[in-house]
Amino acid sequence: MGGPSGGNTMVDARDISGKQKQIAVSEFFEKNKHFLGFDSLQRSLITAVKEAVDNSLDACEEARILPNIVVEINRLKGEDIELISQDNGPGIPRDAIENVFGKFLLGSRFHAIRQTRGQQGIGITGVVMYAQLTTGAKTRVISKIANDSSAVFVELGLDTRKNKAIKSKERREIWIDDSTGEEVKHGLKISTIMKAKYQRGKQSVYQYLRMTSIVNPHATISLIVRGRDGEIIEQGEWIRTSERLPRVVEEIKPHPHGIQLGTLQRMLRESEQRKMTSFLRHNFSGVSVRAAKEVLSTSDIEDDRMPKRINSEDAKKLIISFQKVKLLPPPTDCLSPIDDLLIKKGLSKAIDSRFASTVTRLPTVSQGNPFQIEVGLVFGGDLSADGPIEVLRFANRVPLMYQQGGCALTKAIESIDWKRYGLDHPGGKGLPKGAAAVLIHLASTNVQFTSEAKEAVADNEEVFDEIRKGLLEVGRGLKNHLKKKDQRKKAKEKFELVNVILPEIAKKTSKILGREEPDLAPVITQIMNAVFCEEELGWDKERKLATCSIKIFNYTARARAYTILLKWPENENISMVENSNGGRKEARGIWAWRLDTLNPGTSTTISISLSGLSKGDWTDTDVFFRGNGDIIGATKIDEKILEEIRKSEALTAIRNEISDSDLQEVNQIVSGSDWVEEEKNNSDAINIFADFEEGSE
Amino acid sequence: MSNVGQRKTKEEVKDALKDIASEMHNKMEKGVPPSMTLPVRSKTNIGFDNKLGVYKYGKKKSTRDATSLGSARQLLRSLHVTEFIEQMIDSGKSSTLREMYYISEAWGHGKFGSQNESNNLAEDLEIVTKCLREDFKLRPEEDGARIIGNVTFEERNRKGDWMRINCRDDVGDSGYGVPYNVESEKLTLVEEDVDFIMAIETGGMFDRLVENGFDEEARCALIHLKGQPARSTRRIMKRMSQEWNKPIIVFADCDPWSFRIYASIAYGAIKTAHISEYLATKGAQYLGITADDILAYDLPSDELTKQDLSALDSELTDPRFNTGYWRDQINLMKEIGKKAEQQSLAKYGLDFVTDTYLPEKLADIGLGY
Repeated sequence: MGGPSGGNTMVDARDISGKQKQIAVSEFFEKNKHFLGFDSLQRSLITAVKEAVDNSLDACEEARILPNIVVEINRLKGEDIELISQDNGPGIPRDAIENVFGKFLLGSRFHAIRQTRGQQGIGITGVVMYAQLTTGAKTRVISKIANDSSAVFVELGLDTRKNKAIKSKERREIWIDDSTGEEVKHGLKISTIMKAKYQRGKQSVYQYLRMTSIVNPHATISLIVRGRDGEIIEQGEWIRTSERLPRVVEEIKPHPHGIQLGTLQRMLRESEQRKMTSFLRHNFSGVSVRAAKEVLSTSDIEDDRMPKRINSEDAKKLIISFQKVKLLPPPTDCLSPIDDLLIKKGLSKAIDSRFASTVTRLPTVSQGNPFQIEVGLVFGGDLSADGPIEVLRFANRVPLMYQQGGCALTKAIESIDWKRYGLDHPGGKGLPKGAAAVLIHLASTNVQFTSEAKEAVADNEEVFDEIRKGLLEVGRGLKNHLKKKDQRKKAKEKFELVNVILPEIAKKTSKILGREEPDLAPVITQIMNAVFCEEELGWDKERKLATCSIKIFNYTARARAYTILLKWPENENISMVENSNGGRKEARGIWAWRLDTLNPGTSTTISISLSGLSKGDWTDTDVFFRGNGDIIGATKIDEKILEEIRKSEALTAIRNEISDSDLQEVNQIVSGSDWVEEEKNNSDAINIFADFEEGSE
Repeated sequence: MSNVGQRKTKEEVKDALKDIASEMHNKMEKGVPPSMTLPVRSKTNIGFDNKLGVYKYGKKKSTRDATSLGSARQLLRSLHVTEFIEQMIDSGKSSTLREMYYISEAWGHGKFGSQNESNNLAEDLEIVTKCLREDFKLRPEEDGARIIGNVTFEERNRKGDWMRINCRDDVGDSGYGVPYNVESEKLTLVEEDVDFIMAIETGGMFDRLVENGFDEEARCALIHLKGQPARSTRRIMKRMSQEWNKPIIVFADCDPWSFRIYASIAYGAIKTAHISEYLATKGAQYLGITADDILAYDLPSDELTKQDLSALDSELTDPRFNTGYWRDQINLMKEIGKKAEQQSLAKYGLDFVTDTYLPEKLADIGLGY
């Protein structure tokens, strides 16, 4: 349990700092360092970087600033390492510095649940503590907020008995950035010295930042690691690929399905309400008046009881009733998915690949906790073909780097029969092999981990099923890609054969024999005996348009007529600005052109340009046809599927007409679960589409 | 190969090559993909020719036509090679197969992907035109064998003069080097004073027998095969056996690959079955090392590898090894799971092979001395 609602870590620490102040926080830290991430020299450095970077990302997100983060690691004498982290975030007001760096931030928003990065760590205070315990060093902080004329420079230590920061050498000064030489308008820089070890590889600061950049495409992150003599050992720079900040997530109240007895009792104790119905309605999400009354009557508790006075017996009854009474699902706008297109961008920023497929599933609920799954798969390019695929695991945009084998996300990957999708999967067990990387992002208000170390996601049937569905979708994409690649290769060979080799053969025989060159048209028709289609996606740099051209060759002995259909990424922001052959819209995202006569031995080209896309956004498409006789390189359209798409389109249209506030009401009127059902149907229609492509071989 | 004695004239060779181009051109005029017809070149399509006493290609044909990119490229290459050969014939030049491979760099889409491709194509053209690669002015890269023993040849040198060479008295320790062309216009077999000819697989064993003076002691000529023998090596053995009427004895390692060396000498090789009667020496005998020898002489041996075993299994379905003797040897070898080198005989000292092993083995086949 990551959030303040359930984590033992936090509760213990709070108890220590609150009621049992006599025990030093440092002792608590020492005892628990294995799950605070400071158990080895190598891991301590990663954890320290993680705390600093997560803080920067969260702060920038809240302040709506596109983050620039610079991490510097310098090896000093012995095992000492200097860590410097700087961001362009909002900075921390002078008065708040002591609290942010000097206190374990515990339980500050007890009843509020939302998806944050921070729920997975001890906080930056842990770094201050670790540095002080291992080297005695103070942590230097420079903070500048936009409204102040100067920055605060201060050194921080910890009074471990009082769980309080000790400030020293505080001064105010204009902050000039070392690298640019300009005054810093707002931002935060921390530097400290700790015992740590920099190591390369799968579990390294480099890998942590690389993974972080994938799921934070709006951030620019750079890393410089220097050796003892100041030489650069390793560096990386991941530049933002999106200017879009993640949306601000709403805080939601806990849902009764996820509540535990202890938490409920605390909520009751701290409640200001005078009636049980208002207690239930105001402190929980998904509880309507009707449901509140039903819960109370099922529990045999009168409405006019004071919530503060509810004893543990009655609290237990409430917990049982919560599971019996039909409740609305919690709202899901508290989640911040990355968005499939942005994942694609993030992946392509970090990994050079030939193919990328990503999917963002619709939010769902498990035990009262909303969650959402995103999956990405990249293939080919620079990825190594030997050995198992690379697994990139994330929980709430935070990379998970340890305990890969025991993680539910990994198990979901292993449960797929990857052979069907074109990857080598010896014995169908373990991870598949090949030049691929799979990304899984679990966004949830309450990520359940296997242990307090928070490195592996615990088994959960709903989460597992959602991941599987996402993986199957990207898997189908991969299979299609490979099939198409193969088809394209074969078609290319045939083209070379009839357009290059055959004419040369004719030329040579004529020359050797001194005879006239034969007419090759009938020979070509006999060799090819098919209609070919070749599509090419491109990018018009000057006009910033994504282009697609479809060339259709008739290499048969008779004239042909077809309707050619193209799948394109139609939405509000993307429009077709050029279209050589007119045609018409068949359905959302499907354009059709009629080709009336395509004579034997001739070809025709359809080209379109799309605005509203960036380079690399449109890398894969499908061409379909309607008409008699096959086209190599295109798939025959199934009218039933087209009908499904039209239906789902109509549904989307209806949904778009309803404004957000109305939607809330609809949610209340229509049983919430029904609505989710409809959403699912919508996405299933697209899945059927994918299935069809597969089945049409 | 109708008759090796009757070599084709330049015009006949050119016409034969043009027939290949005609077949393609005619097809295209008829509106069908150009093609070339070849016998299947595998062990499933070789059969014993009773008249010639060697293995030849059977009736199975494969058609190479321009319906796939690979085959179309092969056809285009054949035409480039045809043109190239014509030019060489006209200008009186010749080239090695390797040179042709490099010359093909300039052939655009007709260039060879590897030397192996150019070698195979030269053989294809031999088969289709019934010409020899010598007719095409193509020379192999591989050098021929070395010979030591009291036999005398006359070889025409570069100046065009005939040079008389006795392979015992006129040569150094490395022996007489067999040229790539051993046809009568280049080489004449003059005289001999030997009882048999022994072909030896490995250089180490050849040198051992030379040092021990085995050629004089046993009155034989020694030929070093250098592994799988070159065409000229097989051809000169065939001529020595035919013109001097001497038995050919093969002394090789005991492993599946050595058996194939023997088969190519005695029955003809699968790759060159179109000219088997010209290269193969009917009646060549396998002396050793046999699987029996490994047991009888208790020779140091190695385990058969997976590849060795599958090679042995493949030989069991090869018509050339379909005799009682070879089936027994192959099965025995599989049974004991061992193979041995010729030089394993050194276990009993450097002279054991010439003092004991060879005299005993030769006596078994009636060549005792």
